[in-house]
Amino acid sequence: MALRAGYLPGINANDVEWQTLTYDRDGQAIEVSVPLLSDEQMKGLSGRIKEASRQHLKSMAVSDITATIDATIARLLDRNDTYRQQAEEYLPLITGYDAEMVRLGLTGYLKTFRQSELRRFVAEDFVNPKILDEFQPLPKGGYGRAYGPDLLAHIWAGNVPGLPLWSLISGLLVKAGNIGKVPSTEPLMASWFAHIIAEIDPKLGQCLAVVWWKGGDVDREQALLNQADLVMAYGNNDTLHQIRDRTPITTRCLTYSHKVSFGMVSKAALDTGKAWEVAHQAAYDIVRYDQQGCYSPHLFFVEQGGAVTPQEFAQYIANELDCFEEKFPRRSLTIEEASGVAAWRQSEEMKSFSEENNAVMGDANGAWSVAYSEAEEDLAPSGLNRTAKVISVKQLDDVPARIAPYKAFLQTVGIAAAPEELQRLAGMLGAVGVTRISALEHMTAPEAGWHHDGRFNLLDLVTMTEVERSAETAAEAFSDYVD
Amino acid sequence: MTEAQIIETLLDFIAADGTTDDEFSPLALEIFAYQFENNIPYQRFCRQREKTPRTMQSWRNIPAVPINGYKDLTLSCCDPEAAERIFMTSGTTKNGVRGKCHHPTLSVYDTSMITAFRQRFMQEHTKLRMGILFPTEQTMPNSSLAHYLALALNEFGSDGSRYLFNDDGLDHEQLFAELDRAEQTGKPYALLGASFSFVHVMDKMSHLGKTVSLPEGSRILDTGGFKGQSRELELNEFYDLLEARFGVPRDHCINMYGMTELSTEFYDWGNATCPSVKSGPHWIRSQIVNPLTGEELPKGDKGILVHCDLAHFNCVSSILTEDAGIELDDGFLLLGRAEGAEAKGCSMAVDEFLKAAQG
Repeated sequence: MALRAGYLPGINANDVEWQTLTYDRDGQAIEVSVPLLSDEQMKGLSGRIKEASRQHLKSMAVSDITATIDATIARLLDRNDTYRQQAEEYLPLITGYDAEMVRLGLTGYLKTFRQSELRRFVAEDFVNPKILDEFQPLPKGGYGRAYGPDLLAHIWAGNVPGLPLWSLISGLLVKAGNIGKVPSTEPLMASWFAHIIAEIDPKLGQCLAVVWWKGGDVDREQALLNQADLVMAYGNNDTLHQIRDRTPITTRCLTYSHKVSFGMVSKAALDTGKAWEVAHQAAYDIVRYDQQGCYSPHLFFVEQGGAVTPQEFAQYIANELDCFEEKFPRRSLTIEEASGVAAWRQSEEMKSFSEENNAVMGDANGAWSVAYSEAEEDLAPSGLNRTAKVISVKQLDDVPARIAPYKAFLQTVGIAAAPEELQRLAGMLGAVGVTRISALEHMTAPEAGWHHDGRFNLLDLVTMTEVERSAETAAEAFSDYVD
Repeated sequence: MTEAQIIETLLDFIAADGTTDDEFSPLALEIFAYQFENNIPYQRFCRQREKTPRTMQSWRNIPAVPINGYKDLTLSCCDPEAAERIFMTSGTTKNGVRGKCHHPTLSVYDTSMITAFRQRFMQEHTKLRMGILFPTEQTMPNSSLAHYLALALNEFGSDGSRYLFNDDGLDHEQLFAELDRAEQTGKPYALLGASFSFVHVMDKMSHLGKTVSLPEGSRILDTGGFKGQSRELELNEFYDLLEARFGVPRDHCINMYGMTELSTEFYDWGNATCPSVKSGPHWIRSQIVNPLTGEELPKGDKGILVHCDLAHFNCVSSILTEDAGIELDDGFLLLGRAEGAEAKGCSMAVDEFLKAAQG
């Protein structure tokens, strides 16, 4: 059957050129039609979104917006809802991820957008959230109000289901009009979200749109960049570089590049009673979305001196990955992805010839691999798709200095350590550029209101209008009641 | 067998006319046994896979070393110090480390090259006036391609054949003089070189508004792809341009597919359609495998190419490439390098990391 992606308020579907994307994984082919707008259509759409955002969204209270988002999310959580049912049916086919993993992942992810979490999200960035609704007194004197852009352009990437909702919801919370460009690898979730919003609040539905073009279609991209007041883009450095270069100088461009994350396991967590559970948690972080996320671990620094040695711990992880393969099988890989995995694994095998204590474990089909090393290794990505490396270290305190040169690529560190160690390491890791520290098993599920790559998700989107004290004072002189 | 016996047997085998699997396999296994015994890192590699000469039935089961293995290991049966020549990879990846292939003698390499080149490139010609768009062997002593092209010129180039390359790079002046001369004399001409050099030449010609129409029977040999050294062209666009600029029909534009880690080259029968079907002479065989499991894939499935090149006797004969391909009845389709794909999400992949970390 043919599914339709995109959401285009004010445009008749018959006037749009539709293209078909075909997904054929494991013999189950499905097709998704995606809209390709002309320059004129993009211009018209941008104009209408800006206008609706000014007329409608800017006058809504944040609490009303969160209520509508909450109702939208509630439908996506409801397994009897047709959108939810479509998500459960089609997202695994499009992305290749295991159906049960997608189902559990969606629920866990969507839960972070319920009303109470959204309010926390706003409060994270705004001490006084009312500043988004009206002028509020500022501590320095005078009044201020935060305005979101009339048109926020999102250029999304990747196939992790639902990721675009992050920035789309951020945009709505600051009352921005939104046009999001979905990637070919997962064009549906953002489209469904927009449709539900429009069903619940048709006026709010005029304030967002979901479009598509083939990655690299510079002309279409430019058409949106020219209209936007603010751009948020995701992707690799080359892509982001291009987008930033082509964004007009008066338009801000926020970029989120690819990152590397890793785990750290203290000897305190390596007693015989606890180590299995820790390995299970580490393996779970590897398995979730097959390491495609920026928060997914590539490697684990494991401390020597515990009852369980780092090498044994590597075997534990291997064992857990093997069990997970039964429960949540890895998606089937393209030949390019398989090559990447094979190249990484072979390169680790080659090293094991020259480094006596290095070893590589993996199943015969290449569904997962764990490399173990005692060498002085630096940070480097794994081969992805359930490949990870355990690096034995004398003490975890040595790790921050080793990763310091890679500051620009660091994001999440999952830690299993005692409280005082956690505190000490947090200080050292923060200093070298790590922006998020979580428990193992939680690396791939950031909590609501987290600061993506250490930035302020909402605060970065607004501009402040300030009424200074002098204006207030001067106005007094012109009042009716002046003496 | 001793090294000398292997060399002698190989030279006879190459000289023989065509072989079946029944003849190829026994020699492949003998060479494997020789490499297993004399190439210790390779022996360890095979033992890790629980493969030894005793367990081996067919050339298809010989453990293939990933070409990156050359960067980490010294894979040579002879004493590396005693090698007549060392060819090195271009070192574009892996922190600039270059893989080395040791050749105790070039006699096998040269015979392999000359025999196949005669059949696949020269065809009806015994000699052709040649122009080489690549540096000389003296300039690049560790380049197998420089040696290959030198052999082509010395063995098959008629009087007046020359390098169209000087210290500053491509010698356009001499090149255009040669092309004009060929056009005037009406004698077939052959232009050989790296694919990216052709792109540079054609860009220059486009700038000057120059086209030539080389005489009938002329041919072009390009190899190696663009490797980031020129702009990247679609294959169809590239061969269309060659035909338009030089007047050599696409079916006389031959692409050679070779690599430092082999001593034998593959050719197509012209590029009237792309991707063209590549095939090699009877002393090299290829398989298409799943890179993760090493299992051979059914004919028609896309996979990674493994080559078993008997002429590469001193290092390892069986290598696992990074090139994607599809097996056909008369050869294989070469689909380009199967680069480790980028993550589908926002995670970083190895290639991207290396690029970014090296700034």
